Amino acid sequence: MEATLAGDDDAFAELASRHKSRVFGVAARFAGNAAELEDICQDVFVQAYFKLRQYRRDSPFEHWVLRITTHKCYDYLRKRRRSGTTLSVEALLESGHEPSAPEPPAPHPGLERLHAALAQLSPKERLVITLLELEERSVLEIAGLTGWSAANVKVRAFRARTALRKLMEHQT
Amino acid sequence: MNDPARDPEDSLDALFALARTRRPDTSAAEYAFETRLLGRLRTPTETGSVWAMASWRLIPFFAACVVALMLWHAQVVAQTNEAEQMAYVENPEPFDSWNNLN
Repeated sequence: MEATLAGDDDAFAELASRHKSRVFGVAARFAGNAAELEDICQDVFVQAYFKLRQYRRDSPFEHWVLRITTHKCYDYLRKRRRSGTTLSVEALLESGHEPSAPEPPAPHPGLERLHAALAQLSPKERLVITLLELEERSVLEIAGLTGWSAANVKVRAFRARTALRKLMEHQT
Repeated sequence: MNDPARDPEDSLDALFALARTRRPDTSAAEYAFETRLLGRLRTPTETGSVWAMASWRLIPFFAACVVALMLWHAQVVAQTNEAEQMAYVENPEPFDSWNNLN
């Protein structure tokens, strides 16, 4: 990190290499396709690069990067909602699939319904329910990542779950 | 045995559990990510593109200014016409006085 601050870009590349899996893992839950995933992850690390001086070392670097990731994912969800495009995780699984790689698991009808319902949630609801249920983050962790209060996270998670259940009931 | 399909809450939890196990494979997207990232970081930021982006975003503001100017102009023209008509009514033959001078 000191080397990056001193202007060594290769040191930052090493830092990115160490943390990219976590960033890609979280971003893949929100990205609609491989191109969007790449954009989100690049935006995360570009912001981390330019704001590295603002990083206070009171928490691990990974937490700081994941906080940026969360905010970027939220921005992308909002942007996608404004543009009206809906994309699925299934599309992401297919677009990122290499011919040489083993076959991805067959699409599960229940999962397709779940992802379709998740895509209809508001960006805040989708963010909180994804982090809570799919990423298995605690309420306090989500509060730290999003900057919302723990009570706010709980309320949004409850509303998101209710909305999701209703959407899935309508689908059946 | 509870049937998960009967209780929507259980069904939702079961789907979440299934979704957790099916994490999207990002290995292909991660390949050579650092190289692409460094390429982007080393690309000089074009100040011209920043100005172009700012000017595009200011289009609604400029459009509002044009509309406001048109309204103001129309109002000024209407007031001028009204003043000219009033002047004509008060003094229908202004050229007479000019002719009288000669």
